[in-house]
Amino acid sequence: MTAISKSLGQVTTAGKVIIPLLLVILVVGPIATYLLATVAGPVIVDVLNSNLGIVRFVVAITGVLLFSIPAAFIIIYMELKVIAFMNLRIGPDRVGPKGAAHSVIAGLKVLTKEDFSPNAADRTIFTWAPVIVFLTSVMTFLVIPFGPGLVGAKLNIGVLYLFSVGGMSVVGLLLAGWSSFNKYSLLGGLRAAAQVVSYEIPLTLSVVGLILLAGTLSVDQLAANQAGWFTNWYVFRQPLGALIFFIAATAEANRTPFDLTEADSEIVAGFATEYSGMRFGFLFFAEYVNVFIISALMTTFFFGAWNAPFPFPHLTVALDPGSLGIMLPIAIAVGPLLVTLALAVPFWLIRTKAPAWQALLAGFALANLLAFGAIGLLTYISWDWVAGLIWFFVKSFMFVFVFVWMRGTFPRVRVDQLMGFAWKWLLPASLLNLFVTALAIIVVKSL
Amino acid sequence: MTTPTGLGHHASEDDPRIMLDGQIGQYEQVPPYPPRTEREAEFYSLRDGEMFLNMGPQHPSTHGVLRVVLKINGENVVDLDPVLGYLHRGVEKLCENSDYHHVISQIDPLEYVSSLFMEWAPVMSFEQLLDVKVPRRAEYIRVLTGELLRVASHVLFQGWMALDLGGLAPILYSFIERDEIVEMLAALTGQRMLFNYFRIGGVNGDLNHEFMSRLGDWMSRALVQHEANIGLLNENEIFVRRMRDIGRLDGETAKRMGVSGPNIRAAGVPFDVRRAHPYSVYPELEFDIPVRGTGPAGGDSLDRYLLRLDEVRESIRIIDQCLHNMPDGPVMARLPRLMRPRPGRAWAAVESPRGLFGTYVISDGTDQPFRMKIHDPSFVHLQLVGMLMKNNLIADTMAVMASLDPVMGGIDK
Amino acid sequence: MDRSLKARLEARLADHLAGPIRQRHDQTEIRIRPADLLEVMRTLHDDPDFDFTIIADLAGVDTGTTMQVVYHLWSAKTTDWLRIIAEGMPREDPRIPSLTGLWPGAEWMERETYDMFGIIFEGNRDLRRIYMPPDYASFPLRKDFYLPDDSARSPGGGARHVEQPNAPVVTSTRAPRRTVRG
Repeated sequence: MTAISKSLGQVTTAGKVIIPLLLVILVVGPIATYLLATVAGPVIVDVLNSNLGIVRFVVAITGVLLFSIPAAFIIIYMELKVIAFMNLRIGPDRVGPKGAAHSVIAGLKVLTKEDFSPNAADRTIFTWAPVIVFLTSVMTFLVIPFGPGLVGAKLNIGVLYLFSVGGMSVVGLLLAGWSSFNKYSLLGGLRAAAQVVSYEIPLTLSVVGLILLAGTLSVDQLAANQAGWFTNWYVFRQPLGALIFFIAATAEANRTPFDLTEADSEIVAGFATEYSGMRFGFLFFAEYVNVFIISALMTTFFFGAWNAPFPFPHLTVALDPGSLGIMLPIAIAVGPLLVTLALAVPFWLIRTKAPAWQALLAGFALANLLAFGAIGLLTYISWDWVAGLIWFFVKSFMFVFVFVWMRGTFPRVRVDQLMGFAWKWLLPASLLNLFVTALAIIVVKSL
Repeated sequence: MTTPTGLGHHASEDDPRIMLDGQIGQYEQVPPYPPRTEREAEFYSLRDGEMFLNMGPQHPSTHGVLRVVLKINGENVVDLDPVLGYLHRGVEKLCENSDYHHVISQIDPLEYVSSLFMEWAPVMSFEQLLDVKVPRRAEYIRVLTGELLRVASHVLFQGWMALDLGGLAPILYSFIERDEIVEMLAALTGQRMLFNYFRIGGVNGDLNHEFMSRLGDWMSRALVQHEANIGLLNENEIFVRRMRDIGRLDGETAKRMGVSGPNIRAAGVPFDVRRAHPYSVYPELEFDIPVRGTGPAGGDSLDRYLLRLDEVRESIRIIDQCLHNMPDGPVMARLPRLMRPRPGRAWAAVESPRGLFGTYVISDGTDQPFRMKIHDPSFVHLQLVGMLMKNNLIADTMAVMASLDPVMGGIDK
Repeated sequence: MDRSLKARLEARLADHLAGPIRQRHDQTEIRIRPADLLEVMRTLHDDPDFDFTIIADLAGVDTGTTMQVVYHLWSAKTTDWLRIIAEGMPREDPRIPSLTGLWPGAEWMERETYDMFGIIFEGNRDLRRIYMPPDYASFPLRKDFYLPDDSARSPGGGARHVEQPNAPVVTSTRAPRRTVRG
């Protein structure tokens, strides 16, 4: 007993708490696990099973919220780096490899900043406006199919949901501009209201043609319709619609050249002028989440969603490792060794001056590459959601790149040009598109 | 409540400009003192639907520390009132208390974008007072370095113009060119920005090897690079639409408003001090005066922008001729160290990248000027903003102001 | 030096000249009385023989005994800069007609001169301080301006006055430090 108390006396105060706790956990842990598995487990499973819809919804919401943050981080980093490249600069290069963690650290910095609100601001609205802006953009993710079956909620009115929720963000912007009690904010908020409401109309109308063609309002169904060769993509049947959608979506997301709401050379930062800390962070995040959303919508509506541009052989490889019997452990043990050696031999033969260990190392690296490649290929061809996810992200980020590119290249349009373009050009063009599509459908059906 | 005070001095709790909780809505009278002139009274009275928007002195695109009070009706600018003085250093007073050599370094930071021209005019006026003849090689060096800096200034203008319209990239391409030139001049003068290179009677030091080799490198690709930079912006539909028909200025108004430099040439008046009143060795050099906006309506922002790009080509032509015709000889006239010119008056003007920059000196026989008047073109051009901007949009304020290319250091002296 | 300009000026403006016409380097200098300013300027601007359409500069000068306003004009009809010196204004209450009717661009130059010298340009509709704060009381480029004293009267020193429009010039009792003849 003295030995234990003596050694206990030597540990720190924190240790005195942690060591007994560890002992307790060691005893209680297994008992609790056992009870959970035998008694509570089935009950929980039953409850979850009977409320599958709700469970699915909660999981989807959590997933979407969690996904939006890294997506925004990646896009912010991408924007910094790509625009730096276009400007012949280096861009962020301090945090992480090539500055990859820069946007994460910037996000943390925003969190630690003072949360300031002006004296004359309407506190309640001022506080909640960024939340509205952020939530409305994140909620849009819910109906976007990331891959076959990978959709938060399979709404049969998904397209309507997208536009109604997307259009709500303007309420947040207007509230933010109004409540700040700053003339720049007010101008920014009013510009946002005018701009978003105006462009909402061509944006929606450009998709109506698509809906006529597809005969469905479900985003999931739209995506599934575009399977097969890339000629099935709606962009080839609705080129004008795709163009109008692209332009109007750029304006919806307040991106260059339509970023009048936060035109820094005119109205400082628009509706975000008085915001600081994480409230500003929300506004900032929402902007980049919006970029991803409009890219994802472009992909989903017009560029084949998660479908590959060509029909890929979809196989279910019937691997049955059990049938190998005793050979399985032997293959696992010897296989990599043999492959490594086999791959090392050519190196050893070609570069006789190189020491044997270098050839072995090269062989090992190659073997690993081959193994990962094989596993990747296997997953790609056997699970269609992996393939879908890959294609969806490749296409979406191509559009993100286009938006960043536009930001690096274009000057800003003027407010009257912006409105004139929406009402005089985009709206008639989208009506024309709708009309022609409807006519074509009637003609084709009557033939 | 005590007497309301002026602008920007010692704000305290009884200051009507500070708003406390519960005082919202009491902030009616702008500015917080009775109007001093007819114009001020007219400007600071609001009609229905109008409000004031205070731009600056801390604003991203006022080219320095300028404050502009805009009277707006929605997005329309009804009227505007520039408020100066945030950068006022009293350079003229400083010059009256410096000896003639010292004046050069006092004036030099006025227009930090093209500081050699700020040295050129006073140096020329002092040379008139002292009846000094400047060696020809020194004159050629002055023209050479001056035109280099004109290119740097105009190239930078192109970038700022794009930046004020929301384009991010061109400014960085502009800075590549400008840095090249500025580094070149630093090799010659020892300074990157405020060169302090011209001296009464010549220049401070002959051309050196590093300058010449850098200049040779730059000259071999200057025009190609210039065309490439033009290609970045000039074909951009958004850019052109933002600039066309905004801020039209016709020749007659330009003359009446005292405009000079690229701004008056873009209004169709071929007034360039280098040709209108030749100085230095400009009569010996071949170059054209680009003129735009010769129609009855005059030139717009786009004309002013394009004209500066034309001038870059002409400047490169002049540099080329300077290099070919550069005579040998001394770069400084022989002069006493302490200068006491006889009492008299002298005026000299040069064509700076912004326009006519002149100095008027009165000597009272001592080693310090009795009076030194500096005429800066940006100061005059800023007046135009109020005239050109009326009934345009807020966004155009920036386009017009940037197209006039003012530098606040020179405006506030 | 343009001799013919001198002859033309003497012929046309003989009644208004307050002194001999001087010429040095590339400048021709005439002196007039402030009351004649508008007439002289209108002649120079409108007469096709002179055609001085461009105003290059407007400067105030405190000679220590009197006030002057100096104008520099440019014309395509001559190779000289024309300098017009409106001289002989009393230091206590210098007044001169404004040129804004002829050159609206002179407005700010006159504001600057008023701000620095206290010269009142009659007819300028916006004659207020341009550089110094509105409650600033003295005129910094006058020769009787001493920095320590005047800064004590400036807002930095604690006193706060609101500038009266067109108020008579506040003059110091001190004699000017430096003077120049003419």
